[in-house]
Amino acid sequence: MAKEFSSHEMHGSTVEFEHVTRAFGSVKALNSFSLTLHPGELVTLLGPSGCGKTTALRILAGIDKDYSGKVEIDGKSMKNISASQRNIGMVFQAYSLFPNMTASENVQYGLRVRGVDSTNREKRANELLEMVGLSTQAGRRPNQLSGGQQQRVALARALAIEPRVLLLDEPLSALDAQVRTTLRDEIRRLQSRLGITTLFVTHDQEEAMAISDRVGVMNHGNLEQIDVPGNLYNKPKSTFVAGFVGLTNRIPALVESKGEVMVLNQILEISEHSQSVRKGEEVRALVRPENISVEKSSSSLASTVITKSFLGPMTRVGIDVGMEDLIYAEMSSKEAKKLDTGDSVKLHIAAEAVMVESV
Amino acid sequence: MKKYSPLTIISFLFAIIFFLSPLIAAGEYSVRGLNGVGHSLINYTWIIHQSGFYNNLAVSLRLALVTVVLVMVLLVPTVVYLHLGGRKWRRLVEFFCLIPIVIPVVSLAIGAQVAMPKWLQSTSYELCFFYVIVAMPYVYRALDIGLQSIPLQTLVEASQSLGANWFTTLRRVILPAIASAMTGALFITIALTLGEYTLASLLHFRTFPTWVTNVSQENILGAVALSVATLVGAWLILLLLAFIPKFKRNRKGVLVHG
Repeated sequence: MAKEFSSHEMHGSTVEFEHVTRAFGSVKALNSFSLTLHPGELVTLLGPSGCGKTTALRILAGIDKDYSGKVEIDGKSMKNISASQRNIGMVFQAYSLFPNMTASENVQYGLRVRGVDSTNREKRANELLEMVGLSTQAGRRPNQLSGGQQQRVALARALAIEPRVLLLDEPLSALDAQVRTTLRDEIRRLQSRLGITTLFVTHDQEEAMAISDRVGVMNHGNLEQIDVPGNLYNKPKSTFVAGFVGLTNRIPALVESKGEVMVLNQILEISEHSQSVRKGEEVRALVRPENISVEKSSSSLASTVITKSFLGPMTRVGIDVGMEDLIYAEMSSKEAKKLDTGDSVKLHIAAEAVMVESV
Repeated sequence: MKKYSPLTIISFLFAIIFFLSPLIAAGEYSVRGLNGVGHSLINYTWIIHQSGFYNNLAVSLRLALVTVVLVMVLLVPTVVYLHLGGRKWRRLVEFFCLIPIVIPVVSLAIGAQVAMPKWLQSTSYELCFFYVIVAMPYVYRALDIGLQSIPLQTLVEASQSLGANWFTTLRRVILPAIASAMTGALFITIALTLGEYTLASLLHFRTFPTWVTNVSQENILGAVALSVATLVGAWLILLLLAFIPKFKRNRKGVLVHG
């Protein structure tokens, strides 16, 4: 008998990874990975290629089952539950629309599998296509849709089954910059509106910071830090996170005492999450570009402006201070007008504490 | 409009003359009248009035049907598996699928005949198993190319994440996505089966090709007419193959926008 399908708001589930380990030969893609997603939350796993973020997502989806540890949704172990029984919606990095079906048929697919009758299926598909702004493209096949439109349909298809959890595996990476920004905002809007627990995987930090409730930075199969975007950027708990999230200058420095370091002739505090260092040790201080202020100088020992990159409201200035790498400072574009390449400048680090790492 | 060099035009004309002149000659020869006098379609009608035409054609069509079912049931899941979890077996299967090309049909007929169960040896359906072996290299290649052209792994994972089991995924997603490749494999199998003479002859079975060979010895003009008809038929099938996907797309488009 055909099932009735009612259009309810979705309710977020709790997702829990507990000491999940997944090895491919001798390489551990996930190494005792633990993470909890609260109901209705959008958590992004961010990290370089091969850090294990997609593996975590595939394990939750039920596509990869060869792992140890515990994966639970609403307290129920997923160990013996197949991908098709988990009721998890997924949007893939590659375009994954079924090529033999129209956009509407793609959206209806999960409902059809569940035995929902055609009238309700079509109604639901129309609702969702309208929600993603594609109601006029319902009859088009994937090859008649742009990349952005295809990913919108894929999102509608994933939401059609009223999933307990939504998984987004770098769904924007194949799209051009403008479409990416629009679609990511749309994803966030829909996710917030539907209240669906979402795990998003990306290597694009701007994307992660822009739409997430919390961002988890992964490295070598471990979750280095998970926090709200602001804390991740301003209070990184490891040098890896500090280096990976946002642009960071690694400036040679000297440890003056247990808690102080000399950087660019300034003595600054060493922040609490730094690697342990000893007095007299040569280290690198991690300083954000916006924490470096620049002013013109007439001194012959001053540094020189080498590059100026206009970034819209902000401008990034590359300065040669006689080190191997340039030091980058960011300032408002209005302020940057006063500087030209070749100008002599002096730098000041406008931070009370900096993170340091051993050389 | 694009301009072609004189050398290109001359080469093209030469190719046309080289390929078309024997066909035109055969076509003209096939429509010669009784005893080669005048022109008529008598040679085309002669063959279908020979005793055994329909019976033997029916036998070959039945064999073709069974062969198509066997080869698809054997190879579609196999090739899908090779593209998903069984990549390590791919070279081995490719090797097996190439063997029929390098083994002479005579060796195949005599060698494999011994391995066939006795009850099967007494029926012409035994030929279907030989035809499956002969068709394997072509069908494998056609399906392999079809599956390479789609993101199979992602489609399967997408289907399963939406709640579909393996059977549903195969039926609703994979098979329609490789329909063109399957149609190609199907026509190749039918063409091979309907045209296969050596195996049937060596194993003493009466099929359409063996019957045609016998009958055409009585009338050389009829034999040429049959060759031309076969060639035109094959072309029509190829044209159909080329246009079916476009036709399906257009038809869908009309329905969609209409």
